[in-house]
Amino acid sequence: MSTELDNIELRPARRQFLKGAAAAAASLVAPGVLLYSVGQASSAGTDKPRWGLLIDTNALSEADVDACVEACQREHGWHSADGSATDAQWIRKVHLTDLRSGEKQVLPMMCQHCAEPPCVDVCPTGASFKRADGIVLVNKHTCIGCRYCMMACPYKARSFIHETLRDQLPVAPRGKGTVESCTLCVHRVDRDGADAVPACAEAVNRGGRKAILFGDLNDPNSEISRRLREQGATRVRADLGLDPGVHYQGV
Amino acid sequence: MSRCSFKSSLALLAVLLCAPALLPVSAGEVASSSLGEVAVPEPAKPAGAEACVEPVEVMRREHMNFLLHQRDETVLDGERGSKYSLVGCMDCHNPSDSAETAVRYPDPEHFCAGCHLYASVRIDCFECHADRGLGELQQSLLQAPFDGGLTSLQTFHDQLEKGNVD
Repeated sequence: MSTELDNIELRPARRQFLKGAAAAAASLVAPGVLLYSVGQASSAGTDKPRWGLLIDTNALSEADVDACVEACQREHGWHSADGSATDAQWIRKVHLTDLRSGEKQVLPMMCQHCAEPPCVDVCPTGASFKRADGIVLVNKHTCIGCRYCMMACPYKARSFIHETLRDQLPVAPRGKGTVESCTLCVHRVDRDGADAVPACAEAVNRGGRKAILFGDLNDPNSEISRRLREQGATRVRADLGLDPGVHYQGV
Repeated sequence: MSRCSFKSSLALLAVLLCAPALLPVSAGEVASSSLGEVAVPEPAKPAGAEACVEPVEVMRREHMNFLLHQRDETVLDGERGSKYSLVGCMDCHNPSDSAETAVRYPDPEHFCAGCHLYASVRIDCFECHADRGLGELQQSLLQAPFDGGLTSLQTFHDQLEKGNVD
């Protein structure tokens, strides 16, 4: 008797549940579509920042690029041991020569903090990841050192630590068996937000000249967005469609 | 085994059992100090510090969970303000302004190592993270004169070792 009553009472609840499940399925489809459309319009103004750099190569001499590299080394405590191919390389000097005119250029090359980072796609453990603000990092707690990301990166921005290290700096933990790359000075960004100045920019931005400009690409009123809008810039290997956050002028 | 050799083994055993009594130093004392209880480490409190971020009993049991939770917040979400920060631990418990006075992790005198050795815990935090708080030293190193070139970088690393800035 009691079980029959229970059944009768249960039936409407069950119907309710099924209705709810159908509604849930419908709403699952809707956010999926919504998410896709937002992804398409990622460069439009949103309330989330996307940090990027604008590098004016015309304002950078070779000594300036050397200063960038050294500032990065001092900030994070890495250095090139002997110049071999296995050295740490958070940022490096790239020489360009125009074959027709013979014009020579030198520019700093580091992680381009892509919106569609291939290093994140290939990582088997999820250690290579993109933060909500667009900074691409390696979570060294989960990195297993397989170096797939180094293979995947078209900019050769990442390097692997082969040796046991000592005297690491508190702001930049790094150790043997993990992959590392430019962090866009994430410790400064977390501290100073839009006013942050990465170490490489600090080294060359002397006397009001901003050869390397850090800023929010999603904020149309930021200095970097304004300069990009007014002067334009190119991105290295833009044809790959990775939407890098680092922009170069004069290349 | 023959009866003769059995007897000689018994004699040898008797000599071995009596041997400690024949030694000039009492073997009993040696045994108790090397095999007896190991003193529970009591790491020193940082000079001038009022209290840790949690009561000592909580920290002893839970510090690893606090750090594990905090590390993901910091790495993934960029939350830097947490009171459970490894850098914060080192700044307070193992500050170092020179390499001569620095206590490095595997050393039993290191704040973390004392207890970890006692409890047979092996951690790899300090294979990547700084095992000492650099504090003011790091700032002064970063703001030191910048003359470019690798020589000044070498000087920088030397200064980091020695802990002084010209």
